[in-house]
Amino acid sequence: MNQRETTERRTFLKVLGGIGAAAVTGAPVLRALAEDKTTTSDEFFVLIHAQGGWDVTLWSDPRNEDKGLVDPATDKLVNTEGLRRWVDDAEVRPGEHTFKKVQPAGSKIVFGPGIGDLADLYDRITLFNGVAVNTVSHPDGTAFAATGRHLAGGRVPASSLDSLLANEFGTGQLLPAVSVRFPSAFLGQDLDRRAMPLLVDGIGSMGRSLARSNANTTVADRDAVTALLTQEAKDLAARAHDPGAMNGFALQLSALTKMLGGPVQQIFDTTKLKAAQPTFDYTGRFMGAFAPNFAFAVEAMKANLVRCVSFAMGSFDTHTSNYTDHGLKLQETFDQITELVRVLDATPHPTRTGHKLSEHTHVIVVSEFCRTPQINLTGGRDHYPNGSALVISPKFRGNTVLGSSDLEQMLPISSRTFGDGLRAATPADVIATVLGAFGIDPRKYMRDGEVIKEVLR
Amino acid sequence: MKTRSLVFGLFLLAGCAREPAPGEREVPSVPASDLPGHGTLNQDGTPKEGPRLLPVEVYIQFYLDVFGGLSPLGAETLARGKDGALFDTWRDYLASLGMPDYEKDIARVGQTNAMMLASFERVGVSLCDRAIERDLRGATLDKRTVFAFEPTKAAPTEAEFAARFDVLHRTFLGYPAALAETPRTKRFFDLYNATVARHTAKGAAPSTFTPTEAGWAAVCYGLVRHPELHTY
Amino acid sequence: MRPLPWLLSLSTLAVVTSAGAAPTLTEYRHFRALSVDLLGRVPTRADLAAFEKPGFDLDKWIDVALVGKGYAERVRRTYMDLLRLDVGSTFTFRPNASVLRRQTILGPDGKQMYVYYRNGQRRAREETDGVFCLSQADIGAVFTGTGVTIGTLTKVDAKVLDANTTLVKPWWLGATPTDPSWALIPELQKEPDGTATTMVRVCKEEASTATSAPVFATGRKAPVAGTPPPYGRVTALPLDSAYAATNKGKVIACEGGSAYSNTTGCGCGPGLERCLPAAGNSVEPAAFTLPQGAMLGVDRPTSLARDGEGGWHRQWWSQEAVRTIEWIAASDRDFREILTGKGTVVNGPLVQFYKHVAGGTCCGNGVNLGYVNPVGLVDEAKLPALAPTDGTWKVVDDRGPNASGILTMPVFLTKYGTRRGRAHVLYNVFRCRQFVAENLKLEPSTEPDLTKRSGCQTCHATLEPMAAYFTRVLESDWTWLPKESFPIDQASCRADPLKMSTTCKGYYDPAFTSPTATMLRGAYASVAHADEGPAGLAKATVSSPEFGKCVVTNMASSFLGRELGVEDEAMVTRLEGTFVGSGYKMRSLVKALVHELAYLTANNLSSSALCEGEGK
Repeated sequence: MNQRETTERRTFLKVLGGIGAAAVTGAPVLRALAEDKTTTSDEFFVLIHAQGGWDVTLWSDPRNEDKGLVDPATDKLVNTEGLRRWVDDAEVRPGEHTFKKVQPAGSKIVFGPGIGDLADLYDRITLFNGVAVNTVSHPDGTAFAATGRHLAGGRVPASSLDSLLANEFGTGQLLPAVSVRFPSAFLGQDLDRRAMPLLVDGIGSMGRSLARSNANTTVADRDAVTALLTQEAKDLAARAHDPGAMNGFALQLSALTKMLGGPVQQIFDTTKLKAAQPTFDYTGRFMGAFAPNFAFAVEAMKANLVRCVSFAMGSFDTHTSNYTDHGLKLQETFDQITELVRVLDATPHPTRTGHKLSEHTHVIVVSEFCRTPQINLTGGRDHYPNGSALVISPKFRGNTVLGSSDLEQMLPISSRTFGDGLRAATPADVIATVLGAFGIDPRKYMRDGEVIKEVLR
Repeated sequence: MKTRSLVFGLFLLAGCAREPAPGEREVPSVPASDLPGHGTLNQDGTPKEGPRLLPVEVYIQFYLDVFGGLSPLGAETLARGKDGALFDTWRDYLASLGMPDYEKDIARVGQTNAMMLASFERVGVSLCDRAIERDLRGATLDKRTVFAFEPTKAAPTEAEFAARFDVLHRTFLGYPAALAETPRTKRFFDLYNATVARHTAKGAAPSTFTPTEAGWAAVCYGLVRHPELHTY
Repeated sequence: MRPLPWLLSLSTLAVVTSAGAAPTLTEYRHFRALSVDLLGRVPTRADLAAFEKPGFDLDKWIDVALVGKGYAERVRRTYMDLLRLDVGSTFTFRPNASVLRRQTILGPDGKQMYVYYRNGQRRAREETDGVFCLSQADIGAVFTGTGVTIGTLTKVDAKVLDANTTLVKPWWLGATPTDPSWALIPELQKEPDGTATTMVRVCKEEASTATSAPVFATGRKAPVAGTPPPYGRVTALPLDSAYAATNKGKVIACEGGSAYSNTTGCGCGPGLERCLPAAGNSVEPAAFTLPQGAMLGVDRPTSLARDGEGGWHRQWWSQEAVRTIEWIAASDRDFREILTGKGTVVNGPLVQFYKHVAGGTCCGNGVNLGYVNPVGLVDEAKLPALAPTDGTWKVVDDRGPNASGILTMPVFLTKYGTRRGRAHVLYNVFRCRQFVAENLKLEPSTEPDLTKRSGCQTCHATLEPMAAYFTRVLESDWTWLPKESFPIDQASCRADPLKMSTTCKGYYDPAFTSPTATMLRGAYASVAHADEGPAGLAKATVSSPEFGKCVVTNMASSFLGRELGVEDEAMVTRLEGTFVGSGYKMRSLVKALVHELAYLTANNLSSSALCEGEGK
């Protein structure tokens, strides 16, 4: 980890994410301005939320036996046309076949047919199986997966991993964290407000907001207005009981100038992203719409503008006959991730001469829970309190699986002895391990979670 | 009957901060981090009071009202003009302006961010530029929704500017400019003059606006993007 | 951070006055905030001029604002933000019973012409039974279910055309929509040659206006596997449903969703009122131009898009909730009616939906348990006489015995498709509570009762009995399951759970079924709740000790723009007293709220200015 502190740039110019408004207290901003603990790093992060709850039996925890509660996927339940890794196995019922598990030569990991091309990268994959999510509620599971904490009174009680990573490594970036419908949360006075994720609904739509016409007025005219407003906001902050909101406004206005002046508009333009990164599958039936997020991540990292890009893909919430396409959805997801890794392999790192981007990029994929081992009456699977998480990171040991679930009910099995005893890993442990991979004490941010050292290099 | 001031009285006094008077009981304050077990825990320390972000529906309503009471699609057509250089479609901005989407379960955004401010500028500039084209190029005074005043023929004095600026200030920020807590009128007068000078200078970038129009456009930009417009 | 403000007691209010003086900045800001919150807009220059007049009575102004549209919209916005009652296109709704697809053929003169039909319509003529009413022999081609033409079209004989189709003047032509928010797409208003459409040609069965018809059955047997469909058809000849097979000739109502597939005599009714048009025969052909971004109201969209029948219904379902919440607020009705009220607000499209389309999802294989004539969540007799094109919104005071506020509206029942999902959102939004299981260890277990199962019971002991109230409303649907057809214990479904029929498994839970007993799905945690229906949950929710406080918390949080904390508890208690004491009137709550110190200080921009003598 080549983390360094820098004071090369004016701090306030680096502030982008929602400094303003409600989430800001004056103290951290002022502290940042006073002490200038701006940090930069050479590491990048891509966080993906498989929204809706994925079916682990089709990829990470494959089940092809009719055992206990488990109704394995069959060629009658799942649309196998186009599911490249599906190979018929034994008949579950007359004329109804389940699948052969996927295990490339040399792989210690056994996959299901939804894994797609990602199976080929087994030696770079770290898989957490049998993760105890302890919930079947979307909001609760989503919060737990992203923050390591369950909801408390309906509210997210802790910051999400992207905020933490941006806080540790991203305050020197123009875009410390960009979150495209990822369940980002930013809480607590100990975080630098510059790390607050920039929440956007879609990459493409943002570009329009950055377009400007010089037909009537010039860049200089508008910059003069921005400068005036920055001063207005600062003055209002100085007179307010709570200066946070107006200080934030001032800092965001300053960041705006930077955004309009640099290459930011290019990376928020879907057309340009597609042209720059043509190998992602933009026309995929299920996940094509999310391909610009991958292209954005690559381009933004390549330009060294971001530290963390997070986004959601889905939906995997297949309660009914829409379950038939679940395998294809997984395959398209993992194919996109595979392509991301390949592109990163071929892309030079923006600041580390001679290094590939993939040597310093860490991909973490989570979902809120998995789906029931049983097939319901409408041919789908409902919510189930078990989970998997996928990490592709040079800091993690590849070709590694931690944890499992029981054969008959697919519930998490105690996988190792943690500080508080023998138990299954939780989402908090996964997040703690990601932090621990970079030498960050999880206790700095988290109430729960323990670093699982054996999966780290 | 309670008058305006009776209602406001409480607020007027409640907002003041002062040191406790001698003998007045002072509640001791202990930082949460000093309490056992709280040293390393995150706590929700977000401010409990502060300006709220104007609801996006109210912002768009304001935009439509000052655009001349048009429908969103009518305003979009006018704002786009023939070339679409100033405005795209509402759909392009709704998310960054913070609009919730009930269909997609996207929550209302309650905090500003730099992208939101970028949208405020994009949308606001189109409002001001179209208002210049409408109000300052032939509309009678009673039809002017933004620049509801007669510009001076010569360069305005500070007093002449102040009177006109006050009309705009009331329209956008809802109170007389003279009450502003910053030296606002002076700042905007300087902005106006600097913009006019920039457009008058030799070698100035070509513009469809006259220098005076550009000056008023800049003033309008400053108000339509002002933090006091977007908060309440 | 400056020191926190010190606060004066409320009695201070009485001694502070500056009547006649020019407004202070603080007063302007407060007036602006009130305008934003109660009028839904920032004050205009004219508003400011009125405000600045000596003697301006702000309390009176607030009272006037509280009976205005902006106030009702503000209340609606608060609750719609919490409930998000709009359903996206991921919820597909295009019942074959009501989608009147359109096929292009060559008429007797060799020119293109349109014929409308329903997929799945039973016809006595074997060649066209269950599919388009003109066969390959008639027109030279056949069509797949997704609109692909196989073969080459040839001219249809005039006699064949007349024998199988009829000209009808449909409801969607001629009458101009009174609601500007939607329009018929141009393709539905023109013939292939570009002339204006005044009548449409419809397959004869679909054109039927009968209100009831005898069950049609052929006794046809399934073909041997591999046998190609006869008559050049793409699909095999349809088989009789189990119900039709055993009830041939029995007269059934035409409004039910299974009428088109069990009779040949049930059509789209007078003026085709039971059906909606579709400009094509693909999976979901477009028919209307509808608002897409409609957060300012459907009458003021930010974009328009073409959509089919599904989009049409989804829009009006959402609007029913929107209008009902606004109606409760504007009329200052007891706010508990949002959950318990029998009333609703409907327009022409919703009347059409409830009268003619809602039954389209009934009754599936419920017919095998005798459920043929759907019992609606809305009593059709109570609905106003509004044409489908009539955009007038009318209040219906009493929708019928099964209705209960938003809980029985299609938008709620489809947005929150499962029984548990429905209960959960109510628990969260109206009791301000959340189901959260902390770090429990889930052990493998064979206990099907989640209220007892280790680990699960933490949440489900509360959730399951609440979910049971929705037992009699099908999931992701609004179909009511009456006791007569669906007793809690259905004798005919008692069986070894592994040997239950598909029909029985659809309605009765195998986990609680044995040769001696069955259990209607969802009812196991509380049979009593199942029989009470959603109205029972509404009553329990508004009677819960958290309800009043939760409404206050939600409204105060929305108006103050922040989560409430412990320091707000006194205010919440005070406001709850006002709200409950007024008979749960939202207007009383909001009026008290905007007079609260917390609201007055919510925009805390200028505390220092105040201390420096502003307004003196």
